[in-house]
Amino acid sequence: MTDIQTRAAEGGLGTERSHSEVPILEVKNLVMNYEIKAGMVSAVEDVSFTLPKGHSLGLVGESGCGKTSVALTLMRLAAANARVLGGEVRLDGENLLELNDEEMRQRRWDDISMVFQGAMNSWNPVYTVGEQIREAMDLHWEPRPSAAEARAKTEELFQLVGLNPEMIDRYPHEFSGGMKQRAVIAMALSCDPKLIIADEPTTALDVIVQEQILEELRKIQHEFGMSIIYISHDIAVIAEITDLMGVMYAGKLVEFGDTVDIFARPRHPYSWLILSSTPSITGPRRQLAPLEGEPPNLLDPPSGCRFHPRCPFATQKCTDEEPPLEEVEPGHKIACWNYEQVPVGILAEAE
Amino acid sequence: MLKFVGRRLVQMVFLFFLFLTLVFFLLEAQPGDITAQFLDPTIPAEIRAQLVERLGLDGGVWSRWWNYITNFVTGNLGVSFQQYPRPVLDVITERIPRTLFLFTFATLLSYVIGFTLGKRLAWKRGGFSEHAITVSGVLLYTVFYPWFAIIMILFFASGLGWFPINGFLNPEFWRGAPYTGNEVFGQLIFSLLITGLVFGFTAWFARRQEERSTARVVRVIGYGTSLAFLVIFWLVRGDMRPFALDIVHHSILPIVTLALIAFAGVMLLTRGSMLETLKEDYILTAQAKGVPEKDIRDKHAARNALLPVVTSFVLGLAFIIGGGVVTETVFSWPGMGSLLLTATVAEDVPVATGALAFVGILALLAHLIVDILYAILDPRIRIQTGN
Repeated sequence: MTDIQTRAAEGGLGTERSHSEVPILEVKNLVMNYEIKAGMVSAVEDVSFTLPKGHSLGLVGESGCGKTSVALTLMRLAAANARVLGGEVRLDGENLLELNDEEMRQRRWDDISMVFQGAMNSWNPVYTVGEQIREAMDLHWEPRPSAAEARAKTEELFQLVGLNPEMIDRYPHEFSGGMKQRAVIAMALSCDPKLIIADEPTTALDVIVQEQILEELRKIQHEFGMSIIYISHDIAVIAEITDLMGVMYAGKLVEFGDTVDIFARPRHPYSWLILSSTPSITGPRRQLAPLEGEPPNLLDPPSGCRFHPRCPFATQKCTDEEPPLEEVEPGHKIACWNYEQVPVGILAEAE
Repeated sequence: MLKFVGRRLVQMVFLFFLFLTLVFFLLEAQPGDITAQFLDPTIPAEIRAQLVERLGLDGGVWSRWWNYITNFVTGNLGVSFQQYPRPVLDVITERIPRTLFLFTFATLLSYVIGFTLGKRLAWKRGGFSEHAITVSGVLLYTVFYPWFAIIMILFFASGLGWFPINGFLNPEFWRGAPYTGNEVFGQLIFSLLITGLVFGFTAWFARRQEERSTARVVRVIGYGTSLAFLVIFWLVRGDMRPFALDIVHHSILPIVTLALIAFAGVMLLTRGSMLETLKEDYILTAQAKGVPEKDIRDKHAARNALLPVVTSFVLGLAFIIGGGVVTETVFSWPGMGSLLLTATVAEDVPVATGALAFVGILALLAHLIVDILYAILDPRIRIQTGN
């Protein structure tokens, strides 16, 4: 993994830091709960962010913080007990939450495609990979491609993601984990979507393959000006490939901004603590600062700021009032009452 | 593949030899003297000895066993004691198509209903219809079968009079008929077999077409041809048609009764298998791809849920003759089941041995078919030919 500080010091992540102004995706005040017998689980609470066209956004956070729930809500694929209680998801200006089921079905893969967490299991074992990619094209291409057209496109995509086109007629079990994930990426590109959501695209893969897949995704993003949302608990992955990042905690977006800025100077106590607990390979050796405590139970989230029970800067106000996500400097938003107290630099160095 | 089938066939021959030996000694082990049952006790001793020799009942157990095995290989299964001197093979080849006819249609019907309902139940869980169907399915599944068959006869045959009460054909209607029952039945089986083969080949061939429009044309032509064949065949054989219809009419009630009893098991199996499949990640992938719900259910989930169902289907075929004992007795259907029962009760040892031998052959063939079907349906299973 490329080291975070090094990359930040080099002053860029490969893309222009001045973001284009045209938003491809705008999420406004999104609220989603899971209804269970014990009550409502507040999985996504008032999440808002904007992704400009051609850029990549990373959502990070602990397991269960709601990042996958956000992704599934964008696709309207959350479990049957998911209740979207409010907000807007505007893709290219169109609010996806207002579409009927059939309209939404047509948008899926055509407008937003997805690279899933479990590359191993995202393929149906009884059809060849080529057949499954062709299924997507048959559903969304206008007009429907002929067998030859579909094959030509699939071959092109296979070459793009570094797969031998002869593999098209093979079954998923004949692919290795990394190859399956490459093929998933090929399938995600098959209908020229406006946005790709990559949910933990490399989690199940070993570090070397992980690096190759990330390289592939980065190449695609740059070459085609693709807009991509990455979801990961792996901060190093986000650091490496995204322009923008959002930090989620207990269903809320607590910090949002330029990836380089956030890594250079995390301002929310949670981001600051997380980065302090991440070792650096090339940087100086230092004592890691563990993040104490556990994420809250979202059936009954803490009052005020959801992070206050674990926050070293918490005051009475944090218990009583919920901090809004506010822009503290251009393009950098934070939901914290006491962000000014968060020291510059990471914890171990600060002490 | 061919090598695998070849090797399996060799194994099957060996297994069958063991099975036949077991059956032979099992029947041999029953107490009593068979000759006392079929030979008049008043006949002189030397004639009696001659008759015993002609029936092949003289000599020791081992020599008789060896005789039976060597004769079996040449297709000589001995003669029936009850229908002396009719060869056993003749009796069995007359009965087997009748049983296969009954059970093939009953099994197909029960699997089509069971699979269709099962996948729907798993897809739309909850709600009144799911409970109603599941409960009535389980009820039919657990009901005492002979009782249920009699109730069906009472209601649909005796009460409503829609179907004949029992039997294979109506003897009064057939009096003076220019054909025997077996001739007509043979033609019936032949026409259905050809129709089925054309149908199956079409389905297979259409699936292999890359271009959807070509596949559609293949389907229209193929299914059309198979149906046209059936219609034209029976138009040409117009003189035979009323007799064939009489046999079909007799078979409907037992087929429906069998299917009603059997579909619930298939339905519950499919439902369970589907529920497992629906948890798989590739279902989510299909949803994300915007695949319509019906196609997710049928092409993605049900296609995978099909595998265990196919196993139970083919293995179930092997138990037809055993199951046939009850059905064929209740409906007086002269098939293998009733043959096995009467032969056993009457101690017609050659017929009983022969019938059981066919149970074994059917079971072995069914297992072979399962293995081949699995290799076709599930690409993850590759037949190891070994080196």
